[in-house]
Amino acid sequence: MKSVILNISLRNLLRQKRRSLLLGIAIAFGAMILVLSNAFANGLSDILFNKVMKFVTGHVSVTFSEKGNMFTQVFRDGDRIMTVLKEHMPPHSAYSEAIGVFCRGIGNGKADNVILVGIDFNAQTTPEELEEAKQNFKMIGGGDFTDLKDTTIENPVLLSKEKAKYLNLKKGDLMRIRVTDINGQYQAARLNVVGIFEPANIFMSTPIFVELSRVKKILGYGPHEIAGVNITLKNPTRDAIPLADTLFNHLKPDLAVISGSVKGRGKLQIFGYRSDTTFLKRLKPLLGQLTGDTAAAFRSNGAVLSKSAATGLGISIGDTVRVSYSPKYNPSPVSVRFVVSALYSMADAALPQEALLVNESRFYDVFYMNWPAAPIAEESALLPKKGSCADSLLAPEWVLLDRCKNTDEVKKRYKEIGKLKWKAVTVDAQTMYETGSDILKLESALKLITLWAVMILFFIILIGVINTLRMTIRERTREIGTLRSIGMQKKDVRNSFILETGLLSLFASLIGTLLAFLAMHLLSLFYFDVSDNPMGILLNNGHLHFLPTAAGIVGYNLLILAIAVITAFFPARRAANLPPAAALRHYE
Amino acid sequence: MRTILLIALFVVSTGFGLPGADELLKRLENNYKMGNDISATVSLTQQKAGQGAKLINMLYYRRDTDNSFLIIMTGPESEKGNGYLRVGDNFWMYRRNTRTFQHVNRDENIGGSDAKGDDFETRNLTELYEGAKDSSGKEIISEEILGKIPVWKMEIKAKVKDVDYPKKIYWVQQSNGLLLKETAYSSSHTLMQTSYYLKYTQVAGKFVPVNQIFIDEFEKGNKTILEISGIVTKKLEDALFTKPYLENLSK
Repeated sequence: MKSVILNISLRNLLRQKRRSLLLGIAIAFGAMILVLSNAFANGLSDILFNKVMKFVTGHVSVTFSEKGNMFTQVFRDGDRIMTVLKEHMPPHSAYSEAIGVFCRGIGNGKADNVILVGIDFNAQTTPEELEEAKQNFKMIGGGDFTDLKDTTIENPVLLSKEKAKYLNLKKGDLMRIRVTDINGQYQAARLNVVGIFEPANIFMSTPIFVELSRVKKILGYGPHEIAGVNITLKNPTRDAIPLADTLFNHLKPDLAVISGSVKGRGKLQIFGYRSDTTFLKRLKPLLGQLTGDTAAAFRSNGAVLSKSAATGLGISIGDTVRVSYSPKYNPSPVSVRFVVSALYSMADAALPQEALLVNESRFYDVFYMNWPAAPIAEESALLPKKGSCADSLLAPEWVLLDRCKNTDEVKKRYKEIGKLKWKAVTVDAQTMYETGSDILKLESALKLITLWAVMILFFIILIGVINTLRMTIRERTREIGTLRSIGMQKKDVRNSFILETGLLSLFASLIGTLLAFLAMHLLSLFYFDVSDNPMGILLNNGHLHFLPTAAGIVGYNLLILAIAVITAFFPARRAANLPPAAALRHYE
Repeated sequence: MRTILLIALFVVSTGFGLPGADELLKRLENNYKMGNDISATVSLTQQKAGQGAKLINMLYYRRDTDNSFLIIMTGPESEKGNGYLRVGDNFWMYRRNTRTFQHVNRDENIGGSDAKGDDFETRNLTELYEGAKDSSGKEIISEEILGKIPVWKMEIKAKVKDVDYPKKIYWVQQSNGLLLKETAYSSSHTLMQTSYYLKYTQVAGKFVPVNQIFIDEFEKGNKTILEISGIVTKKLEDALFTKPYLENLSK
């Protein structure tokens, strides 16, 4: 019976060729638009996430900013961060050091603001990633982006054709840059243009690219200092957020301490005290009886020594205490001086008893200038316990920023970094899904708008389907009567109409999908030169970028089918419910 | 004869007659450092290559006792009413249009000019710089004539890292210890800026450079002329260095 129904449905479909054709075209058009727009939204997201953000921030990034200054991207104990990263990186992932700073570029008689970006050739890249990178640097007039590695040339640089044109530069020319280094000093450097490339997207137009170690040298980074780390993953949707959470848990700072000695007198531990008003309010009562210049003790270069340490070391108020300590990355000890403004003595042991407490402003200057070696076991035993009152009032090695859920939270937090005036380095582990959650929102919004637009289109088409079915049923009323008279069941009649509509929708949506692929191919052949236009965000290498997904295509085709079947169900049921005698009597 | 020769050699080798860098820096510091509160009108004329001149006017109030200063922009129209307030470690920027205060860094540009927040701070020169020495360990100081004025030319280097330029050369007028010319270099020894201190005025026994020119040596064609006028040294009210004052003044 099923094959009979299928035959009847197919025959009916072909009986009204023109009507079926017109209806099929309408459904195919709707399907085409739906698949096309879905692929476009996915393509846009792919450009922003996988062709822009992946290279700018990685799938996961660990970023640093010193003294609340977003442009001072430096972490002075880079080896420690790298050790944590290497321990927790999932398989098939890679990391690279990332630097991007604003600077002033001078070309031939022209100047412009540029972003100096370091390319890390030591990063673990797969051949596919290398190929992808080459695609992003389509060189004009020969050369390769690996020319940046040329050690025979002083600071080789690659720049986009737009930037080269604006600065009046060509391959082989010399450009100069002025940049503020990590210490806040002006620095100037000469760069040799070794290549000019066609930017793959609008975001590639502004930066100039120099090999990472050279950028670090220009910016004054030491051998153990890093700017930031970008991590790329094989399966970012699955692994990015768990990895960022893991890094967050393993990057929690310890208490910052300088364990040193006062020459010929004894050992002394130096801590930074947190100088925000709220912390000072809690700290001052804990210091017990303060003697000396208490106002000076809490100024930005203030230092307070415990009374017992002062007695042991023979130091009085107003004395300059010179402490030498072993830095982590320097074999020779360094010495620092602090003027003791006041002495503290406590009844209980809320704070270290044998210590010098220094305002965090001054403390971090010293601490970061020569990162101290970790205290030895017996010195560690004297440190305040984790979670203790002292632990919360004394300066940590760095400030680990809380994980954010979306772009809004990221923006809010960056505002707070400036507002709270952190003296310490802030460390931030985040994924591109948080920093780029607005992109996901944009993609979803685009898909939703398209879906609604196409649904409205379908609503119009389905009015046509209903109308067509009503006409068909009316035309075939006597035929339905005949079929029912010779024994065809109600549900078979109903199913034949539903199947007829279903088959029409299926074929039409399949054709619509094929047309969508054809349209994608044709549209992506066009080249748009919109380098200075924000619309360039929609393009990849000057071409529209479509990314159809199997799930999207199957899903939308099923949706169209379901809507068509549901729409056909009611007229089909009405046709099936016609009494055979009445149907046979029907005459037009 | 031998003794004379030895004395002459000693004089040459020790630079007899030349002051030490520290001495000159201290002299400069003493000449400029105001103990009083100060208020003045500051005018910056910025000329950028290929662009016209931009005139920026501001009122400047400074109190050294607690390291505070207040800047209120009076021009151009786009900046009028905006302000910058620093009290101790806090540094805020006020935007008239949004009526909001925002914490900013010391290196924030003031009113769209090349001047930065830390340019308005008072920091001891001797804490920041010291005399540079040549390969023989001698301070790099010499006598010169600048225009028609006898000057000491000395090279100084930064003692701390948070200064704009790690190396500078000063031309200091011999007769009064005033700075007449300054060249500033990057850490790669590239000449970045030349400054001329054209005119000084004496206020409360101290010298204030009221007319200065800063020439951008890196980006040729850029220069900034700074003029200070209406200097008053009377004590400033505490209420002046507060957010409400800045907000009310900007209305």
